[in-house]
Amino acid sequence: MAWWKFLLPKRASGRQLDSELRFHIEELTEANLAAGMSPEEARRRAMLEFGGPEQIKEELRDVHRVPILETTLKNLKWTLRLLRKSPSFSVVVILTLALGIGANSAVFSAIDAVLLRPLPFPDGDQLMKFAQYNTKAHNSQPFIAPLRVEDWNRMNSTFQAIAGYYAENASEISGPLPEKLTQAIVTPRFLKVLGISPVLGRDFSSQEEHFGGPQAVLISDRFWRRRFAADPNVIGKRIVLSGFRSSYLIVGVLPASFRFPDNDVDLWMAGPPDAPYAQSRESTWYRVIGRLKPGVGLEQARANLDAVQSQLGKQYPKTDADLVVKIQSLKETIVGGARKSLWLLFGSVSLLLLIACVNIVALLLARAAHRQHEISVRFSLGASRTVLIAQLLTETFLLASIGATLGLFVASGASHVFRSLAADLPRLEEIHLDWRIVIYSLVCSAVVTLLCGLLPALRSTRQGISGSLAQNNRTQVSSRTPLQWLLVGIQVGLAVTLLSGAALLLRSFQALGRVSPGFEPAGILTFRISGSYGETADWEALTQRINGTIEELRSVPGVEAAAASATLPGVPTNYPTELRFVEGAQDPRHKMVAESRFITPDYFATMQIPLLAGKVCSEPHFRAVPNRLSPTGQFLEPVSINVVVNRSFADAFLAGSTVLGRHVQVLENPFIKPDQAGEISGVVGDAREEGVNHPPSPTVYWCFGAPGGPDAVYFVRTRTAPMSLAKTVREKIRAIEPARSVFDISPLQDHIDEAFAENRLRTVLLTFFAVTAVCLACVGLYGTLSYSVNVRRREVGLRLALGALRAQIVKQFLLQGLGVSFLGCVAGSVLAAAFARLLSGMVYGVSPTDVVTLSGVIFLVLVVAGIASLVPAIRAARVDPMQVLREE
Amino acid sequence: MPIEKSDLLQGTLDLLILKIVALGPVHGYGISQRIRQISKEVLQVQQGSLYPALHRLEKRGWLEAEWGQSSNGREAKFYKLSAKGRKQLASEESNWNRLAGAVAQILQTAD
Repeated sequence: MAWWKFLLPKRASGRQLDSELRFHIEELTEANLAAGMSPEEARRRAMLEFGGPEQIKEELRDVHRVPILETTLKNLKWTLRLLRKSPSFSVVVILTLALGIGANSAVFSAIDAVLLRPLPFPDGDQLMKFAQYNTKAHNSQPFIAPLRVEDWNRMNSTFQAIAGYYAENASEISGPLPEKLTQAIVTPRFLKVLGISPVLGRDFSSQEEHFGGPQAVLISDRFWRRRFAADPNVIGKRIVLSGFRSSYLIVGVLPASFRFPDNDVDLWMAGPPDAPYAQSRESTWYRVIGRLKPGVGLEQARANLDAVQSQLGKQYPKTDADLVVKIQSLKETIVGGARKSLWLLFGSVSLLLLIACVNIVALLLARAAHRQHEISVRFSLGASRTVLIAQLLTETFLLASIGATLGLFVASGASHVFRSLAADLPRLEEIHLDWRIVIYSLVCSAVVTLLCGLLPALRSTRQGISGSLAQNNRTQVSSRTPLQWLLVGIQVGLAVTLLSGAALLLRSFQALGRVSPGFEPAGILTFRISGSYGETADWEALTQRINGTIEELRSVPGVEAAAASATLPGVPTNYPTELRFVEGAQDPRHKMVAESRFITPDYFATMQIPLLAGKVCSEPHFRAVPNRLSPTGQFLEPVSINVVVNRSFADAFLAGSTVLGRHVQVLENPFIKPDQAGEISGVVGDAREEGVNHPPSPTVYWCFGAPGGPDAVYFVRTRTAPMSLAKTVREKIRAIEPARSVFDISPLQDHIDEAFAENRLRTVLLTFFAVTAVCLACVGLYGTLSYSVNVRRREVGLRLALGALRAQIVKQFLLQGLGVSFLGCVAGSVLAAAFARLLSGMVYGVSPTDVVTLSGVIFLVLVVAGIASLVPAIRAARVDPMQVLREE
Repeated sequence: MPIEKSDLLQGTLDLLILKIVALGPVHGYGISQRIRQISKEVLQVQQGSLYPALHRLEKRGWLEAEWGQSSNGREAKFYKLSAKGRKQLASEESNWNRLAGAVAQILQTAD
């Protein structure tokens, strides 16, 4: 017989039954013939003797039929009756599982939406994100010159299309008040790369993608509903944008689900690649994405792009020779940062479910002991072991399914929890309950059924009929408890593992809160004012506009100081730049890399960063350089720039020599040219600019004018609560800049908190899981010890009657509980130490194997375990010996 | 007078089948013939009980079945005892002997 036939249930085929029975009849006929009967007579007699073959066949089929449906229904009916008989047991199991499976499905729904599903574009896995890496300066640049995007798109052979985009804010001024919009400037082929077409209207025409062609925009579904009340005749209407001071024709509306590159993007406009201002290979404009051709692998695409870029390097040695192209899946660039946190949460929530299962195994074992009599009776009445195991598993499965169903309610709240704890989690809006999560929960309950149900079912049916009906509960001492104690130990161990993880995160969180950032975030209101990159053509005018705004802000009552910067201090942003000193020889083996920050001179006073030496920088002078791309034929560039360095910079690169008056110059930077050297005018204290969790790096603050170009962040130090001035600030800006809108207005502290939201998410959730785990472990400990006390009542009664002290009894049970818990703690610490590596990079200010934290966790667990053990131990000591002995 | 199916003690038929099959591979017809011969026509097994019993025992894994040629060249289903069946036979045989002994004891003593 082929081996695989063993896997199939054995079926008596009708043909085989027929031939087996026919053989019998033929043999009978043969015997009759031999006895001398005529052939007809022999056959008739044989049939008569044999009886009705059809009836026999029917009986044979009954032997082989497995009555799955009937059995299952019967088992379910039985189970329901049993559950009604022991409601408290059922409720405990169901609630435990609802929490365990629910929390697990909830975290899984986030993992599914964020990490597992492809991006919400057709064949989203073909989408790649590009960056150019400078092999000489060792920096990666995500912003690519328009010409290079076109070159890559034209010269490669592995992509269907490559396109670029960047987002900026804009002010729409056709309404009564300027409205701040987010607009994306996109190269041709943008929608083709993403595989999206407009739901209304059309994509840009090729005339609209040429310089000097008609000006057109695509609008978002959100903007369409907000501004045009979802008017189906919106195509052909016009909007007016302040930055460009011209009107744009609406040619299409994009689908509601399409929110790229930003969640809040309102409109897309074509960036013509043939525009005269787009002809520099050194400009840094577009973020670049591409769609791979079907069947093309990442490595193949990389090799192809390397070849393309090296060809460009030969063609344009000055600008392209040192560049290589880097690509990464677009999904990875979006969700990669959240991966570790989410899997950490999933791991811990699975540990929690495991603890819940172990708990239920213990409960089921205790119950099986009570049901031993029932099981023995059913064995003696002829039930087979398989039938009994199926019955016991049905019971567990029903409990698990009810638990899983309730758990779906827990899971459906998941997106709310994630939204309130970590608003910046990528793809957050895609987390929701759907059939995948329902199926996942069902699978969970099936796995739980096997995990929880199999061991108790096998054990309680093991002795079969031989453990006869005669067994007397009263003669039974704690024969069944070693396994249950092992289970308690496992629960405590896993709970300790989880709790030590949570404790480490909590301590990091605390340490982060205690850290002194070197600047004072409290009392700072931040906001942005809409601007356009078109303004960068006249850097001096831009600088004057920003400084003028700051000047006006300073005059607002309640404002102590005002400044602007390109970045938010304390919110992780890195901008490492390679520098060298103009004066003195440079050690070529020692690269000097420092963070760059672009600020206005009042920044230090506003942020309360102390000046240690010299004076703060002053705004630069400007020089006109001829530029054919500019409408005026020249470009105003900052010269005689001042910089301020922090103490770390002075200590690291200028220890023991003069600091003030030295000039630093930038190598290979798109924003500052090497001949724009900065003179060090002062030294300030270290501030945690690149994130409050990050020790200060050597930093150069550039007074470059117009920090961050048109899109500066404004800071206002207020005397009262920052947000109380929000309205006044808005009104002030409207008075001086009526065409510009104010947005992103919020306290600096909120931005910093938001930046660590993922930290908060994992800390809060892991703590919740860990506390639940400890509670479950304690319930397990309490239950097992109570059971043990119950079983040993007679023994305890006897000992009390023989003169044992009640204190001894309490001590004995208490020590039993604590002993097991202690062993669990030891095992848990080992596990925690083994898992500590997972937490590296997530903890701050505490080592992942911190002994103090671990001892604290063990102490806490032992105290709680002691309390959980004390109650049954005291109950044991309260046994009335007379009553117990009378029960004999 | 032959003893019919209804008069056979429950479980006895299984024991008889196991015992006959223990002698060597045999088909259903052969089993019914042997029971009749050995019991000197006292026990006659109805086909309607024999075949369900055979299939039940096969399903429990006490018997193994194989198709083969009968002595006169016909296709027949032969049953033989499995290792599990051999154990079962031993225990049923000793149970039966204990029971029979006990019954005999009572019949003798009560006389």
